Amino acid sequence: MGEVIVITSGKGGVGKTTTTANIGTALALEGKKVVLVDADIGLRNLDIVLGLENRIVYDLVDVVEKTCRLKQALVRDKRFEGLYLLPAAQTRDKNAVSPEQMQQLCEELKQEFDYVLIDCPAGIEQGFKNAVAGADKAIIVTVPEVSAVRDADRIIGLLASSELPDPKLVINRVRTDMVKRGDMINIDDTLDILGIDLIGVVPDDEKIIVSSNRGEPVVAETSSPAGKAFRNIAKRILGENVPYQELEVEESFMEKLRKLFLSKKGTRSL
Amino acid sequence: MNETPVLFKGTRNGLSIYTDSRADISAVKCAYEKKLKESRPFFNGTTVNLTFTGRVFSEQEQQEMIEISTRYITAGSIEFKGQESLQAQEDRRVADPFESLSGSEEGLTKFIRGTVRNGQRIYYNGNIVILGDVNPGAEIIAEGNILILGTIRGMAHAGAAGDTKAVVAAFCLQPTQLRIAGYIARAPEGEAEKPQYPEIAYIKDDQLVIEPYLPGKGK
Repeated sequence: MGEVIVITSGKGGVGKTTTTANIGTALALEGKKVVLVDADIGLRNLDIVLGLENRIVYDLVDVVEKTCRLKQALVRDKRFEGLYLLPAAQTRDKNAVSPEQMQQLCEELKQEFDYVLIDCPAGIEQGFKNAVAGADKAIIVTVPEVSAVRDADRIIGLLASSELPDPKLVINRVRTDMVKRGDMINIDDTLDILGIDLIGVVPDDEKIIVSSNRGEPVVAETSSPAGKAFRNIAKRILGENVPYQELEVEESFMEKLRKLFLSKKGTRSL
Repeated sequence: MNETPVLFKGTRNGLSIYTDSRADISAVKCAYEKKLKESRPFFNGTTVNLTFTGRVFSEQEQQEMIEISTRYITAGSIEFKGQESLQAQEDRRVADPFESLSGSEEGLTKFIRGTVRNGQRIYYNGNIVILGDVNPGAEIIAEGNILILGTIRGMAHAGAAGDTKAVVAAFCLQPTQLRIAGYIARAPEGEAEKPQYPEIAYIKDDQLVIEPYLPGKGK
């Protein structure tokens, strides 16, 4: 029997879809059978990030409305053994499915797969309720910005009331250079406010944008620091104890020189 | 008005019945009868002293109320107090400590275990004690005092019903906004230093003040 994990954030644009695609791919690379469910009906993106857009025939709403069988709607990723996608419908909206139907769908998927990852839409309305309905666990994605952390806090509260306590936190798009200068809220401050366990810190990485546009998950690239961070998250989901990467960025010679002469101004945000 | 025009309140001396002076007499009678019917099993044949407050009843109305009462419960003494002056209420509260179930001196207290998060709102007509943090975007509203055994970054409103003696105290007091009764204070603009010790906020000379709360120096 598999495990259903919802990936959510409250705020939009913090990297839920990227995180879903990459953690899913990393789990498949570890030899697990994984299905990624795009719950963002009407604004589907997960298929694009995975590069599977042109292979969609049926979608989640078709399955729920019994237009097709579940197996027919699953898109198999040919590059990664054991990775499947259940795409969202693009021509419908969030009201096309109910939380009960999602619950039933998750139950069905759990029989077949080791991990069911649900890509939750932004917001706290119907789409969110659908996405969390069938989940056993939750991963919250945030970025080191005050507004994203606020929304994450709101989501943690909502998850607790929908019997999904103890979610795990991914802090995405961390710019170590800015954290060092004190221009970005640091990880400890974020954890202090949210009070939940960390499962991963993903550095800001230009390669993410390139790979998302190409439809190739960044975890497949060994040279990418973000890819490595996602692989580590997957390992932590599997129960391995992976130490956190030292978030070092290479400084240019000029930067080093500048730092020598200029005293740093540390400010506390939040 | 959607609210019921009749409220029951148990006191040491029996049952205190508050009736709304603005409501229609027939509505009051109807609501009273319904309430009595509901609470009949509770009284279970014991003799109850009744005190009517709020509305001023006429002779005939008093008779009718007594009649309704005896239909459902065994009434001991029945007293019609009518409109009480605020001073009288205050005096009575002092005379009968069991009456003052709310307020900043003593009363009921709600305990919250865990963090109160963004978008959550806690309201209580007594004191509130929070064993955890209050995050930005959360609201804590109490008619009595608020104690936070943690950090408050959200909003707290003590003495929400107008009690200016209410206080807000926290291990780490950094609220976005603080209210006591009708007074509102907000965090200073710009970067504020994180307080290193517990603090207490209260009303002093018509102003909301925040002071370090040090053991043995309690207000």
